[in-house]
Amino acid sequence: MEEEQLIAGLRAKDRKTTEYLYEKYSRALFAVISRIVHDSDIAEEVFHDSFVKIIKKIDRYEESKGRLYTWMANICRNSAIDKLRSKEISQSGKTNTIDDFVYGLESKSGTVEQTDAIGVRELMDQLNEDQRFIIEYIYFKGYTHSEVSEEFEIPLGTVKSRVRASLQVLKKNLDRI
Amino acid sequence: MDIQSYIASGKLELFLLGELNEREREEVLALSKQYPEIQQELNELEEAMFALDELTGTKPSPKVKDKIFASLESEFKKEETVKPTAAPIEAKVVKLSPWKPFAVAASLVAIIASAVAVFYANKFYERDQQFTALMQEQSVMADNLNQVKLDYEQKDTQLEKIIAGAFKRVEMKGEGFDMQKDAKVDVFWDQNAQEVFVAVNNLNSLSEEYDYQLWAIGDDGPIGIGLVNAGEKLTLQQMEAVAQAGAFAITIEPKGGSESPTLEKLVVLGEVA
Repeated sequence: MEEEQLIAGLRAKDRKTTEYLYEKYSRALFAVISRIVHDSDIAEEVFHDSFVKIIKKIDRYEESKGRLYTWMANICRNSAIDKLRSKEISQSGKTNTIDDFVYGLESKSGTVEQTDAIGVRELMDQLNEDQRFIIEYIYFKGYTHSEVSEEFEIPLGTVKSRVRASLQVLKKNLDRI
Repeated sequence: MDIQSYIASGKLELFLLGELNEREREEVLALSKQYPEIQQELNELEEAMFALDELTGTKPSPKVKDKIFASLESEFKKEETVKPTAAPIEAKVVKLSPWKPFAVAASLVAIIASAVAVFYANKFYERDQQFTALMQEQSVMADNLNQVKLDYEQKDTQLEKIIAGAFKRVEMKGEGFDMQKDAKVDVFWDQNAQEVFVAVNNLNSLSEEYDYQLWAIGDDGPIGIGLVNAGEKLTLQQMEAVAQAGAFAITIEPKGGSESPTLEKLVVLGEVA
């Protein structure tokens, strides 16, 4: 299904199209949430709310402002960050690191869904120390780039270029896995 | 403009992460339309991010999917329920039987009223029982108070008599007899008023078939002047009037007392000084 067709189906509130969207994107969108929200029950709750929101607010999506996946991923990411900052989670005091996340994948693999935990670990190992740090905070802990800049006294421009460098490394190595 | 350095600035990544403000976002969108290199970079980055998410993700559990589609049920249904053709017929039915809504409303009112009535009837019954219990309690207390009042008046009268009258105290003892060596009963006698009281100090209790009887022994021999309650110790028990007596005595007699004393069962004796 082309993206145009998909969006039209979603706007028409078509159930089949919604199911297609779910099958195609639920895994990736759930990943966006669960790398920020560690607790799997809460992550599923956030995912439920986010996906329902995506379907209900599909009319607010404008093609001219970016691709569908980016729009959906941002909704999920923002919901996860909101949840993370609400009392509910901060009380548990858990902070997510890449290692926690990979460990989580390893402990899950072979049960529900086969995930290439080794692949993820190898991929993350390609990052140097600075890049790993940036990915950990922005991708896994839900920091914004300006928060990272302020909290760790790294110039904003440096944060930006490290985000870019990290994603470039990941992008290149994704093809190999 | 230097497209490569713009791409290298990291702005496109932040655009995809949703971290740019409105103005910066507009700028990226405008430039991506103007420069195919930027658009291409954006597309590649988005693909990479999706691939990364896809790689690192696990599917949410099937029950989440069920829950999501249950939550969205009303969204999907909207279209299907707009179509129904039965609507006009329904409208006619309503017109033909205008009493129906009233009947429904009346039934509802009746049901609610019944429920309310039952509720308050129960409440009333409950309160009524509590009230009756309180009334009974109150009446028992009033009786008790009356009794106490009578007792008090009696004692008061006796006390007055003892203080005001010329009472003689006659000590009766059991020392000289075989029945009860340690028995001791006092008689208070006002010769002028002819009144007699006894106060038990120590007297064994008797079985059901017997009573203690007090005798006034005068010139005409012993006269029974009443039964003495052994249990009422150190209180005044009024006896029958006596005008003349040289001594008082108590014997054990069959229940209710006898005409003449059973001398073998003489318990105590005291002479008037």
